[in-house]
Amino acid sequence: MFNKFGSTSETLSKASAGLLRIGTDAHLYDDPEDVNIAPLLDSKFESEKCEALKRLLALIAQGFDVSNFFPQVVKNVASQSSEVKKLVYLYLLQYAEKRPNEALLSINYFQKDLGDPNPLVRAWALRTMAGIRLHVIAPLALAAVSKCARDPAVYVRRCAANALPKLHDLRLEEHASAIEELVGILLNDHSPGVVGAAAAAFTSICPNNFKLIGKNYKKLCQILPDVEEWGQILLIGTLLRYVVARHGLVRESLMLSIHGTNSNGFCEKDGLGRDLTLDKEDGGKSDSFDVNLVSLVSKCYIQGPDEYLSRSSCTDTVSSAFDTKETTSIAHNEDVKILLQCTSPLLWSNNSAVVLAAAGVQWIMAPLEDVKKIVKPLLFLLRSSSASKYVVLCNILVFAKAVPSLFAPHFENFFICSSDAYQVKAYKLEMLSLIATTSSIASILREFEDYIKDPDRRFAADTVAAIGLCAKRLMTIPTTCLDGLLALVRQESFAGDFESADGEAGVLVQAVMSIQTMIERDPLRHEKVLIQLFRSLDSIKVAAARATIIWMVGVYCSLGHIIPRMLTTITKYLAWSFKSEASETKLQILNTIAKVLISAEAGDFHMLKRIVVYVFELGEYDLSYDIRDRTRFLKKLLSCKLASHEPAEDSVASQENIAAHVVEHVFGRKLKSVSPITLHNRFYLPGSLSQIVLHAAPGYEPLPKPCSFVYEEQDQLSDLDKQREAAADLDGSEESSETGDENGSSDYDSESSNGSDFSSEGDERTVSNDANDPAAPLIQISETSVSADQEELRSRRALDLWLDDQPSTSNQTPSALNSNQSSYAKISIGDVGSRVKPKSYSLVDPGNGSGLKVDYAFLSEVSNVSPLHVCVEVLFENSSAEPILEVNLEDEESMKVADSSEQTLVGKANASYNNIPTLIPMEEISCLEPHQSTKRLIQVRFHHHLLPMRLTLHYNEKKVPVKLRPDLGYLVKPFSMSIEEFLATESRLPGMFEYSRRCTFDDHVKDSRTENGKDKFLSICESITLKVLSNSNLHLVSVDLPVANSLEDATGLRLRFSSKILSSEIPLLITITVEGKCTEVLNLTVKINCEETVFGLNLLNRIANFMVEPSSSAT
Amino acid sequence: MIDNGFPLTTEPSILKEMIAPPNLVSKMLSVVTGNASNVSDTLPSGAGSCVPWRPTDPKYSSNEVYVDLVEEMDAIVNRDGELVKCEIYGEVQMNSQLTGFPDLTLSFANPSILEDMRFHPCVRYRPWESHQVLSFVPPDGEFKLMSYRVKKLKNTPVYVKPQITSDSGTCRISVLVGIRSDPGKTIESITLSFQLPHCVSSADLSSNHGTVTILSNKTCTWTIGRIPKDKTPCLSGTLALEPGLERLHVFPTFKLGFKIMGIALSGLRIEKLDLQTIPPRLYKGFRAQTRAGEFDVRL
Repeated sequence: MFNKFGSTSETLSKASAGLLRIGTDAHLYDDPEDVNIAPLLDSKFESEKCEALKRLLALIAQGFDVSNFFPQVVKNVASQSSEVKKLVYLYLLQYAEKRPNEALLSINYFQKDLGDPNPLVRAWALRTMAGIRLHVIAPLALAAVSKCARDPAVYVRRCAANALPKLHDLRLEEHASAIEELVGILLNDHSPGVVGAAAAAFTSICPNNFKLIGKNYKKLCQILPDVEEWGQILLIGTLLRYVVARHGLVRESLMLSIHGTNSNGFCEKDGLGRDLTLDKEDGGKSDSFDVNLVSLVSKCYIQGPDEYLSRSSCTDTVSSAFDTKETTSIAHNEDVKILLQCTSPLLWSNNSAVVLAAAGVQWIMAPLEDVKKIVKPLLFLLRSSSASKYVVLCNILVFAKAVPSLFAPHFENFFICSSDAYQVKAYKLEMLSLIATTSSIASILREFEDYIKDPDRRFAADTVAAIGLCAKRLMTIPTTCLDGLLALVRQESFAGDFESADGEAGVLVQAVMSIQTMIERDPLRHEKVLIQLFRSLDSIKVAAARATIIWMVGVYCSLGHIIPRMLTTITKYLAWSFKSEASETKLQILNTIAKVLISAEAGDFHMLKRIVVYVFELGEYDLSYDIRDRTRFLKKLLSCKLASHEPAEDSVASQENIAAHVVEHVFGRKLKSVSPITLHNRFYLPGSLSQIVLHAAPGYEPLPKPCSFVYEEQDQLSDLDKQREAAADLDGSEESSETGDENGSSDYDSESSNGSDFSSEGDERTVSNDANDPAAPLIQISETSVSADQEELRSRRALDLWLDDQPSTSNQTPSALNSNQSSYAKISIGDVGSRVKPKSYSLVDPGNGSGLKVDYAFLSEVSNVSPLHVCVEVLFENSSAEPILEVNLEDEESMKVADSSEQTLVGKANASYNNIPTLIPMEEISCLEPHQSTKRLIQVRFHHHLLPMRLTLHYNEKKVPVKLRPDLGYLVKPFSMSIEEFLATESRLPGMFEYSRRCTFDDHVKDSRTENGKDKFLSICESITLKVLSNSNLHLVSVDLPVANSLEDATGLRLRFSSKILSSEIPLLITITVEGKCTEVLNLTVKINCEETVFGLNLLNRIANFMVEPSSSAT
Repeated sequence: MIDNGFPLTTEPSILKEMIAPPNLVSKMLSVVTGNASNVSDTLPSGAGSCVPWRPTDPKYSSNEVYVDLVEEMDAIVNRDGELVKCEIYGEVQMNSQLTGFPDLTLSFANPSILEDMRFHPCVRYRPWESHQVLSFVPPDGEFKLMSYRVKKLKNTPVYVKPQITSDSGTCRISVLVGIRSDPGKTIESITLSFQLPHCVSSADLSSNHGTVTILSNKTCTWTIGRIPKDKTPCLSGTLALEPGLERLHVFPTFKLGFKIMGIALSGLRIEKLDLQTIPPRLYKGFRAQTRAGEFDVRL
């Protein structure tokens, strides 16, 4: 019956579980391989592909290796369905590292997805691409990231920021600077979401590159409250580190409070100290905070405790560690003020970590009287999950150690709840014992009394220990407390009889220890307590507690009047019980009787001596090595005492005298009070993991050395203002924002350098005047970096002047160098056009065409028929011995149409398109004599920019099919625009409309060898321009020369070309940026901005190809 | 959503838009059509905006805002029956279903009683700093606007009086629970739970009202519910100690639970809730409730 019911309930539960899972993918996990996955992957239905991929991911999740599906999966990356795409990406991330070669196949699709209009797709592509940890892909991924860093969508930019640490993890030294530069760009973003992610990237990539922060410091502070919480935590830390590195610690702050008193006797500290003590209810105590500990804390923050503690002379350096130079004052420092202002509202944040980070900043930087505002927010954090409670308590504990008065009025917050975890309880006890004051101790002790009766005995033992700590700190602890402890000892010693639980023993031991600490403060007053303890020796069974009491017998054996008289009885008892003791107690007994013997009075001496000899005899034959060793050692040491008959006999040999001295020193010394602060505390930055685990966790870095970062620009703000004025003076239009970009107008600028090449005065440089002005200089140059030398440079802007006068320019350049921003000069090359030689291709080889050689070259002239046509110059040459007759070129298809009238249907269908003939035929060459050559002009309209055009070559009444291949470079036409227009257009075409490729270039190497007299920069410019213009039909807009760089370094040289696509009249911008040394092979980055993505990409490849090709003109 | 170990977004509204939470309709749809994805193809509108917690343009036919004050009372009563600590931890929970981009201001009648507070990121800090007014653009749906703490309360609504005497291996225990100060509303679902000490070998407990259960891990729960008018609920019984133990030397702590609907014991009052632009058919609702948080009564 029950069995039956059980089975039905089982099926019922199964059914209900099944019902719950309807419509989810959970069933895929049950048996992912129950269908054949491979055919599903090749299915033409997206849903089947989707299911197959889900099954694969389920298998991955269950630990199977399904990398054998890799090629099939990668194929699906081209899918249109975003879900399939996403699943493929997940799969790729898992296996790309394993199968790098196949993974490379997918890269093209990533590139394509990066140009997708949907930001989500772009973000996915970027995340996956950056997540594939292959060094081969890294440069591509970096290019993708740098593109996405300027994406119009916030989400994509944020993903770009997240991708940077992934690239950084690959340890690509050559890209490190590029990555850091990108971090800088993203930190400068105006969207809080991006800044948060950029802050995370900054902390993981270059936490000490403060230059990046310095540029945007004020903006970052302002944006801080809007950044999402995760970013806030990191950004707060970064800003704090920056301020410390830039300005040092604050003189008024807690960290440096002692130096204030040391340096100029009278100081704020007196007042502040009063302020702090006023918080406390009693106000009578002078120890508002522990000066030594605070200085220790601050030094630990700066140097890291491990380094600091390893130096032995830590106490000497207290006052000399910080120079006044390395500190700053809040009254005069704007940066510190802003930081404190922007972090203080974050103390109200909903996120505990943010509160803790903000509190850390206030703790380190805020002036003393403001530090107390962190108290309440921190205490409020205690009402959260037990894990965060623990973390917060760890940090509060440090604050309370340094400045107990901060938390003293709030002791009630640390009262223990029954639901607290043991660790939390232990920390709360420690807090209570730290912050107890004379006014609060009564209520705290009452609480402690309750805790002692708690069922958790470990906690009760800790409570007893905490009572001891309180007693140590406060002189006026009530004697009732001591009585209570004694009662506890008595009670525990009874309970210990029945219950051998460890907890009870712990409580007893702690009680004895606490009593001991209390007695230590004033042993004479507590003589009776000692006697009570000694009496209870018989009932106490716990070895550790007994050992402590026996130790006390030894230490206080000559105290007062009663104890010395008890000594013989006690030692007799100890000797009697020696055999049955635990070894730690035995050791204490040996020590104690030695001490007793030394301080013994004459009357008891003989008696005691006999007891000692007896105990030593027992000890020599003990089972434990330690005890036998200790016994022999003591026996030897005390041999003189044992041999003598009087307690204080001086008539012994000198050697024995020494032994007596040793004995005196070892056993007769009085207790030295240990300083209450344990100097071996380790302090780490508040909120760090290291503070919780109390050792430097991986990745922990102390605060930077104060003032270690010297900001190179004198004053950024005034500098910017100056620039603005200068720019306004020059042309009234405000385009230049040197470093700050504070107005945020050019956030998506496509320039990767620091933006200084946005010319503020480009309009004065005429673009196309060289044609009508024959006297115009070959190259015009103008400085764009606004400086005092501006006028001078502009006054002689002819390049030849500049070139001839090298020394004087090098005089000027230091200023540009000092300002730490590369300046650019703009030049325009005038007469290159005359030297451009279009490249010719062969149409018919003389071998094939029975002696007829036909070459063709694209012309830069614009067709007069229609804008779609390209002018092609065809060169016919007869290399045979006989004349060739009736040479003509005709369109293959138009002939067909003319021949067969049936095909009109097709013709009509695209009649409108066909209105324009594909080929404007050339004049027929009636006769071509041997070795004669003739040029003819044809105009061609290509159907597609990649597909060749089929033509028919007629000669000698023969028909030869030929293919006229389009040259992408001539499917565009020059489009004259000024540099401003160029930049404006470029900024309208960011993100997916921008693609770049890298290639090498070495034409100039040959050039510079031949033309030594010429300037290297100029020759590079010329050779690049020639190469570009010989291969494509473009308009050279401008050339930027790097002025500040060394003369050998061509990095930063930038050429801009503009054009329009013939067929669609869409503008297409090309920027070529040069990197490398003048005399070596240069690395070019060719960047195209164009709305027509496919055409642009193809042209990009074409340019990259011909730049690499050996130049025909050079040979 | 986490990317490379760093949270990419944790904003619930964005996450919900990215991957729709499963509901009956989507499940049915996926069963019927075979495959309907919960994964959105478009970027959530909030992801790029300056208020990421709010989807850009939610539309509702009726505009509703509900404000709940949910308070928890934390208290410690020590062995002498003294109230050592009594404070309120409260949350302002909201449920906003408002069209468009509303800008709300919420003000309290007595903000000075608030000891500490923490705010949802949507709350602007400046207005609070200057005149203690909450000004914010709310997220859509339910959220926690702020949490606060009110300290140093003088009284608890319920008292617990435990007594224990132990003699020669057995203990007699009796616990009385009653209303100390009537809050004006009924106190519901009162429970008292405690852990019997390890040294107790068996327990025999009974009550004159409600039910008592003792679990195998020695957790004892007394469910009282509402306190009857005619009598005071009382739990009494005997505990047998482990053999050899004369008397109990460790004592349990009682944890009290209760719930009072319709009142905020801290005394915090909402003055008004203003909308900058008042949408048509606006409904505003306010509620309050108090329950026991960490309410310890030591024996």
